[in-house]
Amino acid sequence: MADKSGSVMVLGAGIAGMQASLDLANSDYNVYLVDKTPTIGGMMARLDKTFPTNDCAM
Amino acid sequence: MRLEYPGNVKIIRVPCTGKVDVMHLLRAIQKGADGVYCVGCLEGTCHYNEGNFRCRERVNHVRMLLEEVGLESDRVRMYNLSSGEGPTFAAYAKEMTEHIKGLGPNPLKNK
Amino acid sequence: MISPKLVEVGRHTNINLITNSEIKSIEGDPGNFTVNLVNHPRYIDPVKCTGCGECARHCPVTAVNEYNLNLDDRRATYIQYAQAVPLAFAIDTDTCIGCGLCENMCIAKAINYDDEERESSVTVGSVILSSGSRGFDPSQLDFLGYGKHTNVVTSEEFERILSASGPYFGHLMRPLDREEPKKIAWLQCVGSRDTNRSGNGYCSSVCCMYAIKEAMIAKEHAHGDLDCVIFNMDMRSFGKDYEKYYNRARYKDGVRFEKGRIHTITEEPETGDLKVRYADETGMAQEETFSMVVLSVGLKIPDTSAELAERLGIELNKYNFVNTDPFAPVCTNRPGIYTCGVFQGPKDIPGSITEASAAACLAGGDLAEARGTDIEKVEVPDEKDVADQAPKIGVFVCNCGINIGGIVDVPDVQEYAATLPNVVFTDSNLFTCSQDTQDKIKEMIVEHNLNRVVVASCSPKTHEGMFMETLEACGLNKYLFEMANIRNQNSWIHSNDPELATRKAKDLVRMSVFRAAELKPLEEKLVHVNKRALVIGGGIAGMNAALGLGRQGFEVVLLEKDSEMGGFARKLHHTIEGKDVQAYLKQLIEEVNANEKVQVMTDARIVGFEGFKGNFATQVEVGPDAEKHKIEHGVIIVATGANEYKPKEFLYGEDDRVITQVALTDRLEEKGASDLSTVVMIQCVGSRNEENENCSRICCQSAVKNALHIKKLNPDAQVFVLYRDIRTYGLLEEYYTEARKQGVIFIRFDKDAPPTVEATSEGLVVTVKDHILQQNVAISTDLLTLSAGMAATDTDELSRIMKLNRSPEGFFIEAHVKLRPVDMPSEGIFLCGSAHGPKLISETVSQSQAAASRATTFLAKDAIKLSAITAKVDVDHCVKCLTCVRSCPFGVPIFNEDEKVIEINEAICHGCGVCTAVCPRQTIQLSFYEDDQITSKIDALLEAA
Repeated sequence: MADKSGSVMVLGAGIAGMQASLDLANSDYNVYLVDKTPTIGGMMARLDKTFPTNDCAM
Repeated sequence: MRLEYPGNVKIIRVPCTGKVDVMHLLRAIQKGADGVYCVGCLEGTCHYNEGNFRCRERVNHVRMLLEEVGLESDRVRMYNLSSGEGPTFAAYAKEMTEHIKGLGPNPLKNK
Repeated sequence: MISPKLVEVGRHTNINLITNSEIKSIEGDPGNFTVNLVNHPRYIDPVKCTGCGECARHCPVTAVNEYNLNLDDRRATYIQYAQAVPLAFAIDTDTCIGCGLCENMCIAKAINYDDEERESSVTVGSVILSSGSRGFDPSQLDFLGYGKHTNVVTSEEFERILSASGPYFGHLMRPLDREEPKKIAWLQCVGSRDTNRSGNGYCSSVCCMYAIKEAMIAKEHAHGDLDCVIFNMDMRSFGKDYEKYYNRARYKDGVRFEKGRIHTITEEPETGDLKVRYADETGMAQEETFSMVVLSVGLKIPDTSAELAERLGIELNKYNFVNTDPFAPVCTNRPGIYTCGVFQGPKDIPGSITEASAAACLAGGDLAEARGTDIEKVEVPDEKDVADQAPKIGVFVCNCGINIGGIVDVPDVQEYAATLPNVVFTDSNLFTCSQDTQDKIKEMIVEHNLNRVVVASCSPKTHEGMFMETLEACGLNKYLFEMANIRNQNSWIHSNDPELATRKAKDLVRMSVFRAAELKPLEEKLVHVNKRALVIGGGIAGMNAALGLGRQGFEVVLLEKDSEMGGFARKLHHTIEGKDVQAYLKQLIEEVNANEKVQVMTDARIVGFEGFKGNFATQVEVGPDAEKHKIEHGVIIVATGANEYKPKEFLYGEDDRVITQVALTDRLEEKGASDLSTVVMIQCVGSRNEENENCSRICCQSAVKNALHIKKLNPDAQVFVLYRDIRTYGLLEEYYTEARKQGVIFIRFDKDAPPTVEATSEGLVVTVKDHILQQNVAISTDLLTLSAGMAATDTDELSRIMKLNRSPEGFFIEAHVKLRPVDMPSEGIFLCGSAHGPKLISETVSQSQAAASRATTFLAKDAIKLSAITAKVDVDHCVKCLTCVRSCPFGVPIFNEDEKVIEINEAICHGCGVCTAVCPRQTIQLSFYEDDQITSKIDALLEAA
């Protein structure tokens, strides 16, 4: 069997995809973060505030 | 939380109230601050064990010194709250401001 | 909140962003997949584009802005929002007329009309699918009038309406006439919990909470009294501390909550107001008129994700969420391919983040031996030596959209900053945190030879690290940075008094500039990382965390206080899905015992603890003889679990016909249900009350699970569930529906009128006021089952020894409820399982894998950087009075007998500053908080005003 790759692909760059990418990248894996749209951020970037702290989502 | 509190309160950040020196408090009064207060964690929950207790001791010490030189000791106070208590922070800021307004301006100002 | 993460992802050298792209197919095997991608044309080269926006300013074409959910317009050449990453424009060719104006205007020559669809492929070892969801489209539900009545909006649209960067700049307005609404209704469960009209039988898990939030924020934005009503079937605030939020909205902010089923919404033509007709809890028809209606739309998996799953051979359930096993919540049916976030099932942001880390744990774990082989090492440019230079300060004032700029006169503050001593450059930015501004700051540092930077914007707690990295990236020591918080400490709290806010902003900026002049470059020491982990607690959480780290190749010591592993799960039999918990536990324990990386210590008690991230040492007493061990380790995972609450209510302990859900499970396993003709269950026992304000999250599903079990064993048995709100969130809703179908009777009661229980010789009699019948109902029952909540384990000793913070309810506190759900506030310490709060087994599994992933980000490094914020002794002036030695809470300063000097080891100094304040000769200084750096602020505030 061929050698294992040290890269991971993450599809969807919302908050979940971003967190998975950051954990992997900070653990020394190479990450390809793919999104269909021109921008990362997903649904969370379209929110105003978040519960239960009412912090600004952006 | 965007809670309103009086605009005359300005914050100087320290890693722990245990870092606040008697000299810092005195300097503020000497330079004309009408009041100074330290806001530390709730007693017993200091991340560094006892910083807030030490701060309280120093605040008490400064209060004594002010008394000795004929200034109102209550221009310097210590408050405790936890980081999740925004409303309490705002309430203390209001309380301190009202209190200082009652005492009037620092007589050392513009001297 | 997401913005620093966007920047971090955008800046991370190990992350390659591939936008405008989709997966076409995946070939090969786990460890070595070839992923074929389709790259759609963007028509603007993201590498060349500077994000200056000239193209959009000159674009003559108006298109609907889908970022603001079609509530306003954008140009055909566009960027979604100001902080977008990558900060590059794109052309929407559906509306572009090809006039060429943007191409002419673009100085960077980034525009490429001939861009076309391409295909590419990359080799990876694992894949994570996190394609998320979109809001349910309510236009198919005629009775709601969405799309017909302009003032009926979706909750997603309402988020944009409330947002300062939204179509109405954060002013609360309704779409029809841009008038401020006086009365708003939220309608829950639109496209959720509804098999008849929308076909979605699941609960979307987030809508109750976001509706509460939207109502609270709308009230904050309103200029007069705003009446907010949330029409619901059940309010589902089941997350950690969510019930407190619900209570705050209900009892403090005056948000109204009405039980009701919506019949129709009609528009009153003269006013645009909306008449909502609904059936109240008793079935009576009611109507009420609102100026605006918000539809709380559920989470729906887009068709494109279902098509993708089909192409990749990933199994989905009937609602197109990925089919997963409760014991392996982020694994798909295809080895090497994982999932997280809403594609896995409906959930909120902390749940998504937790699962994302769990997926990272497994995706990385598969490739542990190849870790580090595909990455490039980061080169930080050599630091410029500025120690001897006179201060040259650059001040950047942020508008934060309109958060600051809408209140504070930013140009005035900027002008003022330019007059302050040592300031040689000033600028103001729409968003100082955006990626383009980071680049600009770097340019300005170089161009103006700045050796200190002041950013006047928001909180250093969230943004300091990011700006410091910007300094580092152009060779400036990161500690030559200072922030003035003119948003959280100013514009947000003085929004009613712009003049005061501007004045105060100037004071804060002046204080920061004075301090900046006193800053010194500091060095962060590297320390070795001990690559062993300590996991505390041998339940499902601790064992999964240990296995997750073991798979990454790290040694683990697993401590269990009992003589055997398994924790609370030893008392459970089946999950609601019918999975055998004991079989799973047995397999898990075998796996842990067989894993050579994991060392288990049972009957273990922690008696001592010291050290810091990367280098902890814990003293443990193990076994009946309390044999002492010292364990050295680099990280800690806390997984101490929880217990079932022992009720004081409803004759529990006095009458043995009153039992808890856990005892009922045992009873059903042992004795069956053939002898039971009636069983009554009471929910929220020990939860949602004065003593414990929170919801225990899992009890509703426990009741439904046991009710279904009784019905299966004995279909003639009558089961009554007395509840306040049924909180079968996510896919659990299906079991609630099934229980009602099988004849389980659910009766709601109010908190103020709880059921009463009487023991008679014939049996127990439970009396409750039925809201539908509007009268008391007395039920004779064989058994009364109390849905006792979850109570935290006794961790007093542990939290004292390890200095771990807990909530008043005794659960450990995470670093940030939203963004860091498994990190603890102290670095290198992580949290998982019910030690964090009540949760299901599946949630515990993903949380413990998440903790393992977060721990891996530490253990993967050979060395970590220590904070430079430590105490330093000026030995020449020290009189060796030993006051510091006596005062340090951590015993860090020591007197070196040989050298006759005081020494402070910066690797163990916590940076609290106590020693500096007690030193009578002021010969100890805390870096970054030196006396001059503090007094300069005092002086700047009081003297130079």
